[in-house]
Amino acid sequence: QIEIRAPGQQTIPLALTEFLPLDQGARPEIAREINEVLAWDMDLSGLFNLVDPAAFLGDAKRLGLISIDVDFGEWRMLGAQSLIKGAYSLRGDELVLEARLYDVVNRRLLTGRRYVGKVDDLRRMAHAFADLVLQSLTGEAGPFNTRIAYISNKTGFKELYLMEVDGHDPIRLTDHRAIVLNPDFSPQGKELIFTSYRGRNPDLYRKEIYSGSEARISNRPGLNVSGRYHPSGQEISLTLSKDGNSELYLIGTDGSIRRRLTDQWAIDVDAVWSPKGDQVAFVSDRQGNPHIFIMDAAGGSVRRLTSAGKYNSTPDWSPKGDRIVFSRMEGGRFDLYTIRPDGSDERRVTFGPGNKEHPRWSPDGRFIAYSSDEAGKKAIYIVRADGSGPRRISPAGGDCQHPAWSSQW
Amino acid sequence: CAKKPAPGTEMAGEAPVVSESPYQQEVTGISEQAVSEAAVAGQPGYLQGEVAVPGLDRIFFEFDQFTLSEQARATLAQNAAYMKANERVQVRIEGHCDERGSDEYNIALGERRALAALNYLVSLGVPASRLSIISYGEELPLEPGHGESAWSKNRRAEFKALR
Repeated sequence: QIEIRAPGQQTIPLALTEFLPLDQGARPEIAREINEVLAWDMDLSGLFNLVDPAAFLGDAKRLGLISIDVDFGEWRMLGAQSLIKGAYSLRGDELVLEARLYDVVNRRLLTGRRYVGKVDDLRRMAHAFADLVLQSLTGEAGPFNTRIAYISNKTGFKELYLMEVDGHDPIRLTDHRAIVLNPDFSPQGKELIFTSYRGRNPDLYRKEIYSGSEARISNRPGLNVSGRYHPSGQEISLTLSKDGNSELYLIGTDGSIRRRLTDQWAIDVDAVWSPKGDQVAFVSDRQGNPHIFIMDAAGGSVRRLTSAGKYNSTPDWSPKGDRIVFSRMEGGRFDLYTIRPDGSDERRVTFGPGNKEHPRWSPDGRFIAYSSDEAGKKAIYIVRADGSGPRRISPAGGDCQHPAWSSQW
Repeated sequence: CAKKPAPGTEMAGEAPVVSESPYQQEVTGISEQAVSEAAVAGQPGYLQGEVAVPGLDRIFFEFDQFTLSEQARATLAQNAAYMKANERVQVRIEGHCDERGSDEYNIALGERRALAALNYLVSLGVPASRLSIISYGEELPLEPGHGESAWSKNRRAEFKALR
Protein backbone atom coordinates (compact mmCIF):
# COMPACT_ATOMS: atom_id res chain seq x y z
CA GLN A 1 0.00 0.00 0.00
CA ILE A 2 1.05 3.54 -0.70
CA GLU A 3 1.55 6.13 2.04
CA ILE A 4 0.33 9.33 0.45
CA ARG A 5 1.32 11.71 3.25
CA ALA A 6 3.88 13.11 0.81
CA PRO A 7 2.08 12.56 -2.45
CA GLY A 8 4.57 14.42 -4.60
CA GLN A 9 6.97 11.56 -5.07
CA GLN A 10 4.76 8.54 -5.63
CA THR A 11 1.86 9.42 -7.88
CA ILE A 12 0.29 6.52 -9.77
CA PRO A 13 -0.47 7.00 -13.49
CA LEU A 14 -4.26 6.52 -13.63
CA ALA A 15 -6.39 6.19 -16.76
CA LEU A 16 -9.90 7.43 -15.91
CA THR A 17 -12.26 6.47 -18.74
CA GLU A 18 -15.76 7.89 -19.26
CA PHE A 19 -18.49 5.52 -18.13
CA LEU A 20 -20.32 3.90 -21.04
CA PRO A 21 -24.06 3.23 -21.46
CA LEU A 22 -24.87 -0.28 -20.15
CA ASP A 23 -27.83 -0.71 -22.45
CA GLN A 24 -29.07 1.43 -25.32
CA GLY A 25 -29.75 5.01 -24.09
CA ALA A 26 -26.48 6.96 -24.18
CA ARG A 27 -26.68 9.96 -21.78
CA PRO A 28 -23.47 12.00 -22.29
CA GLU A 29 -24.36 14.40 -19.45
CA ILE A 30 -24.45 11.47 -16.99
CA ALA A 31 -21.10 10.13 -18.20
CA ARG A 32 -19.61 13.64 -18.02
CA GLU A 33 -20.79 14.29 -14.45
CA ILE A 34 -19.48 10.93 -13.19
CA ASN A 35 -16.14 11.72 -14.83
CA GLU A 36 -16.08 15.23 -13.34
CA VAL A 37 -16.68 13.93 -9.79
CA LEU A 38 -14.11 11.12 -10.07
CA ALA A 39 -11.49 13.39 -11.69
CA TRP A 40 -11.93 15.97 -8.89
CA ASP A 41 -11.65 13.36 -6.13
CA MET A 42 -8.66 11.62 -7.70
CA ASP A 43 -6.88 14.94 -8.14
CA LEU A 44 -7.56 16.00 -4.55
CA SER A 45 -6.23 12.65 -3.27
CA GLY A 46 -2.75 13.56 -4.52
CA LEU A 47 -2.29 9.86 -5.24
CA PHE A 48 -2.50 9.98 -9.04
CA ASN A 49 -1.39 11.69 -12.17
CA LEU A 50 -4.11 11.35 -14.79
CA VAL A 51 -3.20 9.90 -18.20
CA ASP A 52 -4.37 12.37 -20.85
CA PRO A 53 -7.71 11.08 -22.21
CA ALA A 54 -6.75 12.40 -25.67
CA ALA A 55 -4.22 9.56 -25.80
CA PHE A 56 -6.85 6.88 -25.08
CA LEU A 57 -7.25 4.20 -27.75
CA GLY A 58 -10.09 1.84 -28.74
CA ASP A 59 -10.42 0.06 -25.41
CA ALA A 60 -11.59 3.26 -23.76
CA LYS A 61 -14.82 2.92 -25.76
CA ARG A 62 -15.34 -0.76 -25.00
CA LEU A 63 -17.32 -2.03 -22.01
CA GLY A 64 -14.93 -3.72 -19.58
CA LEU A 65 -16.80 -4.83 -16.48
CA ILE A 66 -14.73 -8.02 -16.05
CA SER A 67 -10.98 -8.14 -16.49
CA ILE A 68 -11.11 -10.57 -19.41
CA ASP A 69 -12.89 -7.89 -21.47
CA VAL A 70 -10.09 -5.36 -20.90
CA ASP A 71 -7.20 -4.95 -23.33
CA PHE A 72 -4.56 -4.31 -20.64
CA GLY A 73 -1.80 -4.23 -23.27
CA GLU A 74 -3.28 -1.04 -24.71
CA TRP A 75 -3.28 0.64 -21.30
CA ARG A 76 0.27 -0.51 -20.50
CA MET A 77 1.36 1.11 -23.72
CA LEU A 78 -0.09 4.41 -22.47
CA GLY A 79 1.87 4.04 -19.23
CA ALA A 80 -1.21 3.58 -17.04
CA GLN A 81 -0.80 1.53 -13.85
CA SER A 82 -4.37 1.93 -12.62
CA LEU A 83 -7.49 1.99 -14.79
CA ILE A 84 -11.04 3.02 -13.93
CA LYS A 85 -13.82 1.76 -16.18
CA GLY A 86 -17.58 1.77 -15.69
CA ALA A 87 -21.07 1.82 -17.08
CA TYR A 88 -24.42 3.40 -16.30
CA SER A 89 -28.06 2.62 -17.05
CA LEU A 90 -30.99 4.95 -16.49
CA ARG A 91 -34.62 3.82 -16.36
CA GLY A 92 -36.88 6.69 -15.46
CA ASP A 93 -35.12 8.25 -12.50
CA GLU A 94 -33.64 4.92 -11.40
CA LEU A 95 -29.86 4.94 -11.92
CA VAL A 96 -27.53 1.95 -11.87
CA LEU A 97 -23.76 2.51 -11.89
CA GLU A 98 -21.19 -0.22 -12.46
CA ALA A 99 -17.69 0.88 -11.46
CA ARG A 100 -14.37 -1.00 -11.67
CA LEU A 101 -10.76 -0.33 -10.64
CA TYR A 102 -8.16 -2.43 -12.49
CA ASP A 103 -4.48 -3.07 -11.80
CA VAL A 104 -3.09 -2.74 -15.35
CA VAL A 105 0.32 -4.26 -14.60
CA ASN A 106 -1.07 -7.43 -13.01
CA ARG A 107 -4.06 -7.46 -15.36
CA ARG A 108 -6.62 -7.94 -12.60
CA LEU A 109 -9.66 -6.36 -10.99
CA LEU A 110 -8.79 -4.57 -7.75
CA THR A 111 -12.28 -3.56 -6.70
CA GLY A 112 -15.73 -3.07 -8.17
CA ARG A 113 -19.16 -1.91 -7.08
CA ARG A 114 -22.68 -1.73 -8.45
CA TYR A 115 -24.62 1.27 -7.14
CA VAL A 116 -28.41 1.40 -7.36
CA GLY A 117 -30.26 4.60 -6.56
CA LYS A 118 -31.92 7.68 -8.01
CA VAL A 119 -30.39 9.78 -10.73
CA ASP A 120 -29.79 12.65 -8.28
CA ASP A 121 -27.67 10.27 -6.20
CA LEU A 122 -25.15 10.15 -9.04
CA ARG A 123 -22.55 12.38 -7.40
CA ARG A 124 -22.77 10.50 -4.14
CA MET A 125 -22.30 7.18 -5.94
CA ALA A 126 -19.23 8.52 -7.75
CA HIS A 127 -17.80 9.91 -4.49
CA ALA A 128 -18.46 6.56 -2.78
CA PHE A 129 -16.47 4.78 -5.51
CA ALA A 130 -13.65 7.31 -5.20
CA ASP A 131 -13.51 6.46 -1.46
CA LEU A 132 -13.30 2.79 -2.43
CA VAL A 133 -10.45 3.44 -4.88
CA LEU A 134 -8.41 4.99 -2.05
CA GLN A 135 -9.41 2.11 0.23
CA SER A 136 -8.16 -0.39 -2.31
CA LEU A 137 -4.85 1.35 -2.99
CA THR A 138 -3.95 2.70 0.44
CA GLY A 139 -5.92 0.51 2.82
CA GLU A 140 -7.98 3.46 4.01
CA ALA A 141 -11.18 4.85 2.51
CA GLY A 142 -11.22 8.45 1.28
CA PRO A 143 -13.49 11.17 2.77
CA PHE A 144 -15.09 12.14 -0.54
CA ASN A 145 -18.57 10.98 0.35
CA THR A 146 -18.72 12.84 3.65
CA ARG A 147 -20.19 16.31 4.28
CA ILE A 148 -18.87 19.70 5.38
CA ALA A 149 -20.97 22.04 7.51
CA TYR A 150 -20.13 25.75 7.46
CA ILE A 151 -21.41 29.23 8.27
CA SER A 152 -22.45 31.61 5.48
CA ASN A 153 -23.96 35.13 5.66
CA LYS A 154 -25.50 34.85 2.19
CA THR A 155 -28.99 35.69 3.50
CA GLY A 156 -27.69 38.70 5.43
CA PHE A 157 -27.53 36.63 8.63
CA LYS A 158 -24.92 34.05 9.56
CA GLU A 159 -26.69 30.71 9.16
CA LEU A 160 -25.55 27.06 9.19
CA TYR A 161 -25.17 25.26 5.85
CA LEU A 162 -24.19 21.77 4.69
CA MET A 163 -22.39 20.91 1.46
CA GLU A 164 -20.66 17.99 -0.21
CA VAL A 165 -16.87 17.82 -0.03
CA ASP A 166 -16.53 19.34 -3.53
CA GLY A 167 -18.89 22.19 -2.60
CA HIS A 168 -21.91 20.84 -4.43
CA ASP A 169 -25.52 20.81 -3.22
CA PRO A 170 -25.27 23.50 -0.47
CA ILE A 171 -28.29 23.26 1.85
CA ARG A 172 -29.23 25.84 4.54
CA LEU A 173 -29.98 24.10 7.85
CA THR A 174 -30.94 27.01 10.15
CA ASP A 175 -33.27 29.99 9.95
CA HIS A 176 -32.24 31.85 13.13
CA ARG A 177 -31.82 35.34 11.62
CA ALA A 178 -29.20 36.17 14.21
CA ILE A 179 -25.59 34.90 14.37
CA VAL A 180 -24.82 31.17 14.13
CA LEU A 181 -21.20 30.04 14.85
CA ASN A 182 -18.87 27.10 15.54
CA PRO A 183 -20.66 24.04 14.14
CA ASP A 184 -19.34 20.59 15.08
CA PHE A 185 -20.48 17.16 13.84
CA SER A 186 -21.34 14.31 16.14
CA PRO A 187 -18.88 11.44 15.53
CA GLN A 188 -21.84 9.06 15.38
CA GLY A 189 -25.10 10.23 13.95
CA LYS A 190 -26.02 12.90 11.46
CA GLU A 191 -26.24 15.54 14.14
CA LEU A 192 -24.58 18.88 14.75
CA ILE A 193 -24.06 21.30 17.62
CA PHE A 194 -23.54 25.04 17.11
CA THR A 195 -23.72 28.37 18.94
CA SER A 196 -26.50 30.84 18.08
CA TYR A 197 -27.49 34.32 19.30
CA ARG A 198 -31.17 33.70 18.44
CA GLY A 199 -32.10 33.77 22.11
CA ARG A 200 -30.27 37.12 22.42
CA ASN A 201 -27.31 35.36 24.01
CA PRO A 202 -24.65 32.99 22.62
CA ASP A 203 -26.31 29.64 23.46
CA LEU A 204 -25.50 26.05 22.40
CA TYR A 205 -27.98 24.23 20.13
CA ARG A 206 -28.12 20.62 18.91
CA LYS A 207 -29.74 19.75 15.59
CA GLU A 208 -30.58 16.42 13.90
CA ILE A 209 -30.00 16.93 10.20
CA TYR A 210 -32.69 14.67 8.76
CA SER A 211 -35.55 15.31 11.09
CA GLY A 212 -34.57 18.97 11.29
CA SER A 213 -35.45 18.89 14.98
CA GLU A 214 -33.46 21.38 17.04
CA ALA A 215 -32.95 21.85 20.79
CA ARG A 216 -31.20 24.52 22.83
CA ILE A 217 -29.09 22.46 25.22
CA SER A 218 -27.09 25.15 27.05
CA ASN A 219 -28.22 28.70 27.66
CA ARG A 220 -26.35 29.54 30.84
CA PRO A 221 -25.68 33.25 31.43
CA GLY A 222 -22.76 34.54 29.38
CA LEU A 223 -20.96 32.39 26.83
CA ASN A 224 -22.02 28.89 25.69
CA VAL A 225 -19.50 28.73 22.79
CA SER A 226 -17.03 26.51 20.85
CA GLY A 227 -18.75 23.24 21.67
CA ARG A 228 -16.88 20.13 20.46
CA TYR A 229 -18.07 16.52 20.65
CA HIS A 230 -16.07 14.00 22.65
CA PRO A 231 -15.09 11.07 20.36
CA SER A 232 -17.67 8.94 22.22
CA GLY A 233 -20.36 11.30 20.93
CA GLN A 234 -21.92 11.22 24.40
CA GLU A 235 -20.30 14.34 25.83
CA ILE A 236 -19.39 17.82 24.66
CA SER A 237 -16.61 20.20 25.72
CA LEU A 238 -17.88 23.77 25.93
CA THR A 239 -16.69 27.22 26.97
CA LEU A 240 -18.96 28.70 29.66
CA SER A 241 -18.46 32.08 31.34
CA LYS A 242 -21.21 31.79 33.94
CA ASP A 243 -18.50 31.92 36.64
CA GLY A 244 -17.51 35.42 35.46
CA ASN A 245 -14.73 34.13 33.23
CA SER A 246 -14.58 31.79 30.24
CA GLU A 247 -13.85 28.28 31.50
CA LEU A 248 -13.93 24.87 29.82
CA TYR A 249 -16.61 22.43 30.92
CA LEU A 250 -17.67 18.92 29.94
CA ILE A 251 -21.43 18.60 29.45
CA GLY A 252 -23.75 15.80 28.35
CA THR A 253 -25.53 15.96 25.00
CA ASP A 254 -28.62 16.88 27.06
CA GLY A 255 -26.72 19.95 28.32
CA SER A 256 -26.22 18.76 31.91
CA ILE A 257 -22.81 19.70 33.40
CA ARG A 258 -20.54 16.67 33.94
CA ARG A 259 -17.23 18.27 34.91
CA ARG A 260 -15.35 21.57 35.05
CA LEU A 261 -12.02 21.30 33.21
CA THR A 262 -10.35 24.66 33.87
CA ASP A 263 -10.33 27.00 36.85
CA GLN A 264 -8.14 29.91 35.79
CA TRP A 265 -8.61 33.66 35.58
CA ALA A 266 -7.48 33.52 31.93
CA ILE A 267 -9.55 33.10 28.76
CA ASP A 268 -9.87 29.33 28.04
CA VAL A 269 -11.61 28.43 24.76
CA ASP A 270 -11.44 26.20 21.65
CA ALA A 271 -11.15 22.84 23.43
CA VAL A 272 -10.74 19.84 21.09
CA TRP A 273 -10.43 16.16 22.05
CA SER A 274 -7.68 13.75 21.07
CA PRO A 275 -9.12 10.86 19.00
CA LYS A 276 -8.76 8.56 22.02
CA GLY A 277 -10.63 11.10 24.14
CA ASP A 278 -7.97 11.06 26.84
CA GLN A 279 -6.54 14.53 26.19
CA VAL A 280 -7.81 17.99 25.33
CA ALA A 281 -6.01 20.70 23.36
CA PHE A 282 -7.30 24.22 24.02
CA VAL A 283 -6.42 27.90 23.71
CA SER A 284 -5.60 29.99 26.76
CA ASP A 285 -4.00 33.37 27.40
CA ARG A 286 -2.87 32.33 30.89
CA GLN A 287 0.68 33.14 29.82
CA GLY A 288 -0.17 36.49 28.27
CA ASN A 289 -0.90 35.81 24.63
CA PRO A 290 -3.24 33.12 23.32
CA HIS A 291 -1.35 29.83 23.04
CA ILE A 292 -2.32 26.21 22.68
CA PHE A 293 -2.13 23.96 25.75
CA ILE A 294 -2.85 20.28 26.34
CA MET A 295 -4.43 18.77 29.45
CA ASP A 296 -5.77 15.35 30.34
CA ALA A 297 -9.49 14.59 30.21
CA ALA A 298 -9.86 15.41 33.91
CA GLY A 299 -8.36 18.84 33.41
CA GLY A 300 -5.02 18.00 34.99
CA SER A 301 -1.34 17.99 33.91
CA VAL A 302 -1.61 21.08 31.75
CA ARG A 303 1.34 21.69 29.43
CA ARG A 304 1.97 24.27 26.75
CA LEU A 305 2.07 22.96 23.17
CA THR A 306 3.04 25.94 21.04
CA SER A 307 6.19 27.83 21.89
CA ALA A 308 6.68 29.96 18.77
CA GLY A 309 4.46 32.87 17.76
CA LYS A 310 2.40 35.26 19.85
CA TYR A 311 -1.08 34.28 18.75
CA ASN A 312 -1.95 30.59 18.24
CA SER A 313 -5.60 29.53 18.09
CA THR A 314 -8.33 27.12 16.81
CA PRO A 315 -6.51 23.79 17.27
CA ASP A 316 -7.87 20.58 15.75
CA TRP A 317 -6.53 17.12 16.57
CA SER A 318 -5.95 14.74 13.64
CA PRO A 319 -8.14 11.60 13.74
CA LYS A 320 -4.82 9.75 13.34
CA GLY A 321 -3.72 11.28 16.64
CA ASP A 322 -0.24 12.13 15.41
CA ARG A 323 -0.63 15.84 14.61
CA ILE A 324 -2.52 18.95 15.69
CA VAL A 325 -3.34 21.70 13.16
CA PHE A 326 -3.79 25.31 14.33
CA SER A 327 -3.81 28.86 13.01
CA ARG A 328 -1.03 31.28 13.94
CA MET A 329 -0.97 35.03 13.41
CA GLU A 330 2.43 36.17 12.16
CA GLY A 331 2.98 39.71 10.95
CA GLY A 332 -0.73 40.46 11.10
CA ARG A 333 -1.72 37.44 8.99
CA PHE A 334 -3.01 33.96 9.92
CA ASP A 335 -1.53 30.78 8.47
CA LEU A 336 -1.98 27.10 9.30
CA TYR A 337 0.68 24.98 10.98
CA THR A 338 0.71 21.38 12.17
CA ILE A 339 2.68 20.07 15.14
CA ARG A 340 3.13 16.80 17.02
CA PRO A 341 1.23 16.47 20.31
CA ASP A 342 4.61 16.51 22.09
CA GLY A 343 5.29 19.97 20.61
CA SER A 344 7.96 18.82 18.17
CA ASP A 345 8.21 18.89 14.36
CA GLU A 346 6.20 22.05 13.72
CA ARG A 347 5.48 22.54 9.99
CA ARG A 348 3.83 25.37 8.13
CA VAL A 349 0.91 24.28 5.89
CA THR A 350 -0.36 27.40 4.15
CA PHE A 351 1.43 30.23 2.32
CA GLY A 352 0.57 33.27 0.25
CA PRO A 353 -1.98 36.03 0.83
CA GLY A 354 -5.06 35.90 3.03
CA ASN A 355 -5.91 34.81 6.58
CA LYS A 356 -6.28 31.04 6.88
CA GLU A 357 -8.27 30.10 9.98
CA HIS A 358 -10.47 27.47 11.62
CA PRO A 359 -8.68 24.38 10.28
CA ARG A 360 -10.54 21.05 10.56
CA TRP A 361 -9.20 17.59 9.65
CA SER A 362 -11.03 15.24 7.29
CA PRO A 363 -12.24 12.04 9.01
CA ASP A 364 -9.34 10.07 7.47
CA GLY A 365 -6.74 12.66 8.54
CA ARG A 366 -5.38 13.22 5.02
CA PHE A 367 -6.93 16.64 4.34
CA ILE A 368 -7.65 19.91 6.15
CA ALA A 369 -10.61 22.21 5.49
CA TYR A 370 -10.22 25.86 6.52
CA SER A 371 -11.48 29.35 5.77
CA SER A 372 -9.42 31.91 3.89
CA ASP A 373 -10.03 35.48 2.68
CA GLU A 374 -7.25 35.40 0.07
CA ALA A 375 -9.82 36.11 -2.66
CA GLY A 376 -11.53 38.94 -0.72
CA LYS A 377 -14.59 37.34 0.86
CA LYS A 378 -13.99 34.44 3.24
CA ALA A 379 -14.36 31.05 1.56
CA ILE A 380 -13.81 27.41 2.52
CA TYR A 381 -10.72 25.66 1.11
CA ILE A 382 -9.30 22.13 1.34
CA VAL A 383 -5.58 21.35 1.43
CA ARG A 384 -3.65 18.07 1.83
CA ALA A 385 -2.05 17.48 5.21
CA ASP A 386 1.40 18.31 3.81
CA GLY A 387 0.15 21.65 2.46
CA SER A 388 0.02 20.64 -1.21
CA GLY A 389 -2.95 21.17 -3.53
CA PRO A 390 -5.03 23.87 -1.77
CA ARG A 391 -8.31 24.55 -3.55
CA ARG A 392 -11.51 26.49 -2.87
CA ILE A 393 -14.69 24.45 -2.44
CA SER A 394 -17.44 26.69 -1.02
CA PRO A 395 -20.03 28.18 -3.42
CA ALA A 396 -19.94 31.90 -4.28
CA GLY A 397 -22.11 34.34 -2.38
CA GLY A 398 -21.45 35.77 1.07
CA ASP A 399 -18.63 35.01 3.48
CA CYS A 400 -18.23 31.29 4.23
CA GLN A 401 -16.29 30.19 7.31
CA HIS A 402 -16.14 27.83 10.31
CA PRO A 403 -16.02 24.56 8.35
CA ALA A 404 -16.75 21.32 10.22
CA TRP A 405 -16.07 17.95 8.56
CA SER A 406 -18.47 15.06 9.18
CA SER A 407 -17.35 11.50 9.89
CA GLN A 408 -18.40 8.80 7.42
CA TRP A 409 -21.79 9.81 6.04
CA CYS B 1 7.39 -9.22 -17.45
CA ALA B 2 4.66 -11.81 -17.69
CA LYS B 3 4.76 -14.09 -14.68
CA LYS B 4 5.16 -17.84 -15.37
CA PRO B 5 1.61 -19.13 -14.77
CA ALA B 6 1.42 -20.84 -11.39
CA PRO B 7 0.08 -24.40 -11.65
CA GLY B 8 -3.68 -24.57 -11.38
CA THR B 9 -4.50 -21.12 -12.76
CA GLU B 10 -6.24 -21.09 -16.16
CA MET B 11 -3.81 -19.78 -18.79
CA ALA B 12 -4.22 -22.42 -21.53
CA GLY B 13 -5.81 -20.63 -24.46
CA GLU B 14 -7.03 -17.66 -22.38
CA ALA B 15 -10.08 -19.54 -21.08
CA PRO B 16 -12.40 -17.10 -19.24
CA VAL B 17 -11.07 -16.23 -15.83
CA VAL B 18 -12.62 -18.61 -13.35
CA SER B 19 -13.70 -15.98 -10.83
CA GLU B 20 -13.45 -12.27 -10.54
CA SER B 21 -13.15 -10.98 -7.00
CA PRO B 22 -16.91 -10.83 -6.26
CA TYR B 23 -18.17 -7.30 -6.41
CA GLN B 24 -20.91 -6.99 -3.89
CA GLN B 25 -24.03 -5.25 -4.87
CA GLU B 26 -23.97 -2.11 -2.79
CA VAL B 27 -27.67 -1.42 -2.60
CA THR B 28 -27.08 2.08 -1.67
CA GLY B 29 -28.80 3.65 1.24
CA ILE B 30 -27.70 6.74 -0.61
CA SER B 31 -31.14 7.67 -1.78
CA GLU B 32 -32.29 8.33 1.80
CA GLN B 33 -30.55 11.66 1.60
CA ALA B 34 -33.79 13.62 1.86
CA VAL B 35 -32.53 16.57 3.89
CA SER B 36 -35.46 18.57 5.24
CA GLU B 37 -34.82 22.24 5.76
CA ALA B 38 -36.53 22.95 9.05
CA ALA B 39 -38.45 26.18 8.73
CA VAL B 40 -38.04 27.37 12.26
CA ALA B 41 -40.40 30.19 13.19
CA GLY B 42 -38.33 33.37 12.84
CA GLN B 43 -37.78 35.04 16.20
CA PRO B 44 -36.75 38.67 16.65
CA GLY B 45 -33.02 38.87 16.10
CA TYR B 46 -30.63 40.40 18.55
CA LEU B 47 -31.05 43.86 17.05
CA GLN B 48 -34.54 44.77 18.10
CA GLY B 49 -35.25 46.14 21.53
CA GLU B 50 -31.87 47.84 22.03
CA VAL B 51 -31.24 51.47 21.26
CA ALA B 52 -28.09 53.58 21.10
CA VAL B 53 -28.64 56.67 23.25
CA PRO B 54 -26.80 60.01 22.85
CA GLY B 55 -25.91 60.12 26.54
CA LEU B 56 -24.21 56.69 26.42
CA ASP B 57 -21.05 56.78 24.34
CA ARG B 58 -18.92 53.86 23.24
CA ILE B 59 -15.35 53.28 24.49
CA PHE B 60 -12.37 51.78 22.63
CA PHE B 61 -9.57 49.28 23.42
CA GLU B 62 -6.06 48.36 22.25
CA PHE B 63 -5.54 45.12 20.28
CA ASP B 64 -6.01 41.97 22.40
CA GLN B 65 -6.50 44.21 25.52
CA PHE B 66 -9.41 44.83 27.86
CA THR B 67 -7.78 47.45 30.09
CA LEU B 68 -9.56 50.85 30.28
CA SER B 69 -7.64 53.82 28.86
CA GLU B 70 -7.85 57.30 30.41
CA GLN B 71 -10.16 58.33 27.60
CA ALA B 72 -12.38 55.28 28.24
CA ARG B 73 -12.60 56.11 31.95
CA ALA B 74 -13.63 59.68 31.16
CA THR B 75 -16.37 58.46 28.81
CA LEU B 76 -17.58 55.91 31.38
CA ALA B 77 -17.80 58.69 33.97
CA GLN B 78 -20.15 60.60 31.62
CA ASN B 79 -22.15 57.43 31.00
CA ALA B 80 -22.48 56.90 34.76
CA ALA B 81 -23.70 60.47 35.18
CA TYR B 82 -26.28 59.94 32.42
CA MET B 83 -27.57 56.77 34.07
CA LYS B 84 -27.83 58.47 37.46
CA ALA B 85 -29.82 61.27 35.84
CA ASN B 86 -32.10 58.72 34.15
CA GLU B 87 -33.01 56.31 36.90
CA ARG B 88 -35.27 54.02 34.87
CA VAL B 89 -32.76 53.31 32.09
CA GLN B 90 -31.46 49.71 31.96
CA VAL B 91 -28.26 49.40 29.97
CA ARG B 92 -26.84 46.45 28.07
CA ILE B 93 -23.05 46.67 27.53
CA GLU B 94 -21.89 44.99 24.29
CA GLY B 95 -18.27 43.80 23.99
CA HIS B 96 -16.74 43.84 20.47
CA CYS B 97 -13.38 43.00 18.87
CA ASP B 98 -11.70 43.62 15.52
CA GLU B 99 -11.77 40.81 13.00
CA ARG B 100 -8.32 39.50 13.70
CA GLY B 101 -8.04 36.45 15.87
CA SER B 102 -10.24 33.44 16.25
CA ASP B 103 -13.92 34.10 16.75
CA GLU B 104 -14.14 32.05 19.92
CA TYR B 105 -11.21 33.83 21.54
CA ASN B 106 -12.65 37.17 20.45
CA ILE B 107 -16.05 36.36 21.94
CA ALA B 108 -14.33 35.71 25.26
CA LEU B 109 -12.22 38.87 24.91
CA GLY B 110 -15.33 40.90 24.01
CA GLU B 111 -16.96 39.70 27.21
CA ARG B 112 -13.88 40.74 29.18
CA ARG B 113 -14.20 44.26 27.71
CA ALA B 114 -17.92 44.52 28.55
CA LEU B 115 -17.18 43.27 32.08
CA ALA B 116 -14.37 45.82 32.55
CA ALA B 117 -16.80 48.62 31.61
CA LEU B 118 -19.50 47.20 33.90
CA ASN B 119 -17.19 46.92 36.89
CA TYR B 120 -15.97 50.49 36.40
CA LEU B 121 -19.55 51.85 36.14
CA VAL B 122 -20.46 49.96 39.32
CA SER B 123 -17.40 51.48 41.02
CA LEU B 124 -18.83 54.90 40.06
CA GLY B 125 -22.05 54.06 41.87
CA VAL B 126 -24.26 52.66 39.11
CA PRO B 127 -26.27 49.72 40.59
CA ALA B 128 -25.19 46.46 38.95
CA SER B 129 -28.86 45.45 38.69
CA ARG B 130 -29.31 48.09 35.96
CA LEU B 131 -26.50 46.65 33.84
CA SER B 132 -26.14 43.49 31.74
CA ILE B 133 -23.44 42.38 29.27
CA ILE B 134 -23.18 40.48 26.03
CA SER B 135 -20.20 39.76 23.77
CA TYR B 136 -20.41 39.69 19.98
CA GLY B 137 -16.68 39.12 19.47
CA GLU B 138 -15.87 40.16 15.91
CA GLU B 139 -19.36 39.53 14.53
CA LEU B 140 -20.67 43.14 14.47
CA PRO B 141 -17.95 45.47 13.18
CA LEU B 142 -18.75 49.18 13.29
CA GLU B 143 -16.41 49.64 10.33
CA PRO B 144 -16.48 46.66 7.95
CA GLY B 145 -13.15 47.48 6.27
CA HIS B 146 -9.72 45.94 6.90
CA GLY B 147 -6.66 47.71 8.29
CA GLU B 148 -5.91 49.55 11.52
CA SER B 149 -8.30 52.49 10.88
CA ALA B 150 -11.25 50.05 10.76
CA TRP B 151 -9.92 47.67 13.42
CA SER B 152 -9.35 50.45 15.98
CA LYS B 153 -13.01 51.50 15.62
CA ASN B 154 -14.20 47.93 16.09
CA ARG B 155 -12.32 47.22 19.34
CA ARG B 156 -15.04 48.76 21.48
CA ALA B 157 -17.77 48.47 24.07
CA GLU B 158 -21.22 49.83 23.22
CA PHE B 159 -23.91 50.93 25.69
CA LYS B 160 -27.49 50.22 24.60
CA ALA B 161 -30.58 51.32 26.56
CA LEU B 162 -33.03 48.44 26.91
CA ARG B 163 -36.69 49.17 26.20
